[in-house]
Amino acid sequence: MTLLLDIVTTAAILFIVSAGLLAIFGVLEIVNFAHGAWLTVGAYCAVVTGGLGLNPWLALPLAFVTGAVLGGVTERLIVRPLYARPLDAILATWGLGIVIGQLITLWFGRDVQFTENLLSGTFHMFGTSYSIYRIFALAAAVAIGLGFAFLLEGTRLGLSARAIIMNEALARALGLDTTRVRLVTFMIGTGLTALAGVLLTPLTSVDPTMGVSWLIGSFMLVMVAGSSFGALAVACLVFGGAQVLVSTFISPILGGITVAVLCALVLRISSKGFARV
Amino acid sequence: MSDTLATSLPRSAAVRRRAAILGVLAVAALALVIFGPMFLDRFSVNVLTRSMIYAILAITVDLLWGFTGILTFGQAAFFGIGAYATAMLLTHIGSSPTLIGVALVLAILVPVVLGVIVGWLSFYYGSTPIYATVISLVFPIVVTQLIYSGGTLTGSSSGMVGYFGLPFGLEGFFRLSGISLVIVAVGALIFVRSDSGRILTAIRDNETRCAYLGLNTQRIKILLTAVLAGVAGLAGFLYANASGVVAPENTSFVFGTELVVWTALGGRGTVLGPVLGTIGIDYLSANLSGELPFLWQLIIGALFVVMIIFLPNGLAALVSRLTRRGRGEVVAEAGPVLVPEAPLHHMTAVDGPLLSIDKLEKSYGSQKVLEDITLDVAPGELVSLVGPNGAGKTTMMRCLTDGKESSGGVIRIAGQNIAGMVPNQIVALGVGRKFQVASVFESLTVSECLRMARAALEAPSFVSASDKLRLPSAAIEILQLTGLDKLLSTEVSLLSHGQKQSLELAMVVALEPRMILLDEPTAGLTKAERTTIGTILKKLTNELGFAAILVEHDLDFVRDISSRIVVLHQGRLVLDGSVDEVVNSDIVKTIYSGGEHV
Amino acid sequence: MKIPSLLATMTSVMLAGGAFAADDAIRIGVPVGLSGANSVVAPSVVQSAELAVEEINAAGGVLGRPLELVIADDASGAAGAQKAFDSLVFQKEVDVLISMETSAARNAGLPIVSKGKVPYIYTSFYEGRSCNPYLFVDAWVPEQQVPPIVDYLKAEGAKKYFLIGSDYAFGRGMLEFARSYVESTGGEVVGEEYLPMDGTDWTAIISKLKASGAEAMITSTAGGAPNVTLTKQLRGAGVDLPYANLAVDEGTAKSMGADAAGILISASYVTGIDSAENKAFLDAMTAKFGDELRTPNDLSVPQYEAVYLYKAAVEKAGSTDAKAVLDVLDEVSFTGPRGSIQMSKQHHAPLTMYLGQVQEDGSVVVVETFKDVDPGEQCPKL
Repeated sequence: MTLLLDIVTTAAILFIVSAGLLAIFGVLEIVNFAHGAWLTVGAYCAVVTGGLGLNPWLALPLAFVTGAVLGGVTERLIVRPLYARPLDAILATWGLGIVIGQLITLWFGRDVQFTENLLSGTFHMFGTSYSIYRIFALAAAVAIGLGFAFLLEGTRLGLSARAIIMNEALARALGLDTTRVRLVTFMIGTGLTALAGVLLTPLTSVDPTMGVSWLIGSFMLVMVAGSSFGALAVACLVFGGAQVLVSTFISPILGGITVAVLCALVLRISSKGFARV
Repeated sequence: MSDTLATSLPRSAAVRRRAAILGVLAVAALALVIFGPMFLDRFSVNVLTRSMIYAILAITVDLLWGFTGILTFGQAAFFGIGAYATAMLLTHIGSSPTLIGVALVLAILVPVVLGVIVGWLSFYYGSTPIYATVISLVFPIVVTQLIYSGGTLTGSSSGMVGYFGLPFGLEGFFRLSGISLVIVAVGALIFVRSDSGRILTAIRDNETRCAYLGLNTQRIKILLTAVLAGVAGLAGFLYANASGVVAPENTSFVFGTELVVWTALGGRGTVLGPVLGTIGIDYLSANLSGELPFLWQLIIGALFVVMIIFLPNGLAALVSRLTRRGRGEVVAEAGPVLVPEAPLHHMTAVDGPLLSIDKLEKSYGSQKVLEDITLDVAPGELVSLVGPNGAGKTTMMRCLTDGKESSGGVIRIAGQNIAGMVPNQIVALGVGRKFQVASVFESLTVSECLRMARAALEAPSFVSASDKLRLPSAAIEILQLTGLDKLLSTEVSLLSHGQKQSLELAMVVALEPRMILLDEPTAGLTKAERTTIGTILKKLTNELGFAAILVEHDLDFVRDISSRIVVLHQGRLVLDGSVDEVVNSDIVKTIYSGGEHV
Repeated sequence: MKIPSLLATMTSVMLAGGAFAADDAIRIGVPVGLSGANSVVAPSVVQSAELAVEEINAAGGVLGRPLELVIADDASGAAGAQKAFDSLVFQKEVDVLISMETSAARNAGLPIVSKGKVPYIYTSFYEGRSCNPYLFVDAWVPEQQVPPIVDYLKAEGAKKYFLIGSDYAFGRGMLEFARSYVESTGGEVVGEEYLPMDGTDWTAIISKLKASGAEAMITSTAGGAPNVTLTKQLRGAGVDLPYANLAVDEGTAKSMGADAAGILISASYVTGIDSAENKAFLDAMTAKFGDELRTPNDLSVPQYEAVYLYKAAVEKAGSTDAKAVLDVLDEVSFTGPRGSIQMSKQHHAPLTMYLGQVQEDGSVVVVETFKDVDPGEQCPKL
């Protein structure tokens, strides 16, 4: 039972962390290597919220807005000139990640920061106790997933985004303002990533380099998932599950590289990954 | 036809001059590293020793990324493996001159073997550049983790220290690293300017075209990865000896990204730029980072972002832009001498038809794009494939040159079933394909493009740029007819649309194919250019016995040159006959007048 | 006055803090992790070194010469340490190195120290058995730190132990020793698990811990982030076993808030030590740094004392000559916040160890004191 919960909640956390990256990669075909930095920015929004003595839940909207605004600036200044050079975009966003990390360090210092727990305590169910927060993370992942499903299927923006994924030239020819759709998508992606940063604070230390350790895992999951949120959910379940199983039955050290290695192998066998799911 | 075309400046003189400059530079650099320790304080000697070893790594990154277009973060891992192989051997087995020799061999060999594996993982038919980058990220992460988990065997997080390597002092290691750097740099410079080295740039520019010139680009990239892994391992060996310590961070992907940053700032694709960038930044950071660690990284990070966006070719490009005329602006020298050569390849006669298609089928999901296509083509035939947009003409061309494309049926070329074959294997059967949009190498010169077309037939030199270019007479004739023979040293990006089309045709003919496939070769050309191409095609088929399949919309053009016309409509072959039969048939009139009532 | 000499004078005045001319200053090199993993504690280490130098200079210096600190960032790793050591030993030509560093950084620096023939006092606790004629250590090793904790847990009734660590030399070294000590005292280790240093997901390990029936856990994660991550996830999962942490400092404990409450730590220094020396030290630190003060800890106090130990050695040797200083460095002692320290045992120091427990407000209360714990056989060949 615990194992099952471990698998599902681990997958949920991976999903929350990767969703913003996927939104950007799926539509813009740009890998945002500053992803880790945005998680960090989000987590520091929680620190600021706590520092101002506000309700810790207020960090969620604050992070989304901060992430989106900074994302907008980034898209305009850094990403937009590089759409035709996706490998350079990886490098430029990596450089941006360094810059953001150092700015946070200069501003807040290197120390681990204290943040208020959003939810604490455990939950008793079927004879085992389990972290309430992890259950909440599962709910949050489902909410984000459904939110995206609605955004893609039920709104004009989603329609435009899907059009761009399928055939950008045609979309532009049909009069879609692809520049604006890209901007908005990037902002949603970074906003969501910052939000994920807040959601991570009860689980990890908050310090200027906290995002980097999540970068590779989410990057790999997104590569496997392509541009589909459904595929991302499946990928998180499969590889998150594999990580938990390897950690539990073989070694947590191998578990730590499970996602990256398995994703690489899956991509080697089928270059489309899970995109067809 | 003349063997020696007029040249404004003897090419060999230019080559000699360039070699002389390189020689002088190399000697100067050697003098610098040999006498340097006499003028530098110990701190600078020590720091520069390390910087120069890192510069060797930067060269390998530059060859992969700057020249070949493979963005890699993995060179750090090969470097670390070389360093660890050395340190582990000297720590656990002992130290003697023989063992140091063994360590050197292992430090190169182990990375080479791993390089082959990583290359095999990264490069396969259909792999994307981003995928290769992904693998180059995962690889150092796995290696670093293994080192952490290695306990006393690898020293885990503490690294390894206290082993005895080469018995040199500070100055000795400075000179050793410096000499190694000069050798690697000169080797790299000679290689990238050689005829083989230009293949790297060709792959970066247009990998598809390389494959359709019969080059196995995947194997080339795997080989390159393996060789450069060995060079990185050699750098690791030097590092392990010079520094007396190895640590997990030597293998980490963060160090890998640093190498990319240095390469980018110095100027990718220049060899010397990354060397100077690495030495400059590493030396500066040793001097400055102590005082302002975070600010220093902030500055480097910001500079890097700005550089990638606004000056993707780094400082070296800026310098060369200011000091030198751009490569293509003025043609200072003539190209190589064109030497006509009788066709040597694909001389064996073929029994039966050259191309035989039997019930070819292609479908995307439930939608059939091609269905039940059966067709034979014999040498000397010029078959035109006509039909309205969406009839499946281009799809059919793709099926003929990529054995993984078709969904059913059998295609035989010179009697061989091509099922499962990749383009370069099919090209080796004697097939040349000209694309609809001219597919050439934008940053190579005309003569270099043509040499690429010959690279699969006769191995190009690794050290020199030949001053002769052997081509089949037919290819030379195309060049002369289109005036490209006067532009051999011109960079392709400066050519007109029509010139590029002609160049591509010449490249395809240079492959000495038995059969050429042409997708709308006249689209967007002037009347005169069209006539020229028509003349060439007729000559190729009538006189030289090529088979040609032509996709074409211009019915007048088709009528003038074809020996046979095949009509495709909605994925089916509806008519196959002589020019007169087809042109006068009711079916063609109906299709082309837009009616759908066949 | 010519401009170059004016500049030179200005620089030397700035470097010496104005009190002495810099020419005859004794230079102490401090390579320390201003960036990277150690950057959380590094500022506190620099502060305590600054206090020691200020106090000594105010009292007339050493052999009439002032002390001068030369700080360099080692980026908490081997590559950075090489640059820092190169710079300090060969460029700044320091007389001694006194520093708290990661093991990787220390190992990277040692060959340079040997080449430059400079005494090196290492002030960080570590996994032990680093031996070099130039290296002295005034902080604890596993033999000194683990027994107090295990003895205490045993007295509390724990027989089954679960060990959790980060996968690196210190983490493994500490837990290896802990396992052997637990087993030698009749306890049982029911689980031993490691996560990579940058790992963030302790889920599987925590589930194993909960299923193992352990009565106490001992953790040795990398300082800073992994400590916090593990503790947050442990508390989130409702784990409330007796929890001994071999690698948490008071500052990090504070940043965890209530989650850290109850954690047992074993250290040679906690701020709650009740002695006149400690009180004077804390007062002086507060007076000098005010709001900027970083909580003094088990890494910064050995740094403070090491400066005094070096002073004593130079005075005894009568010069800063490296060989002369090294010869007497194990003969001198200093009584500081941690008590009387003498690096006499194979270049390591017997230490008084304190068993502390973290309170709700992040402060540490001393539960038990263990006098003069011996470092054991660290470097029998020296």
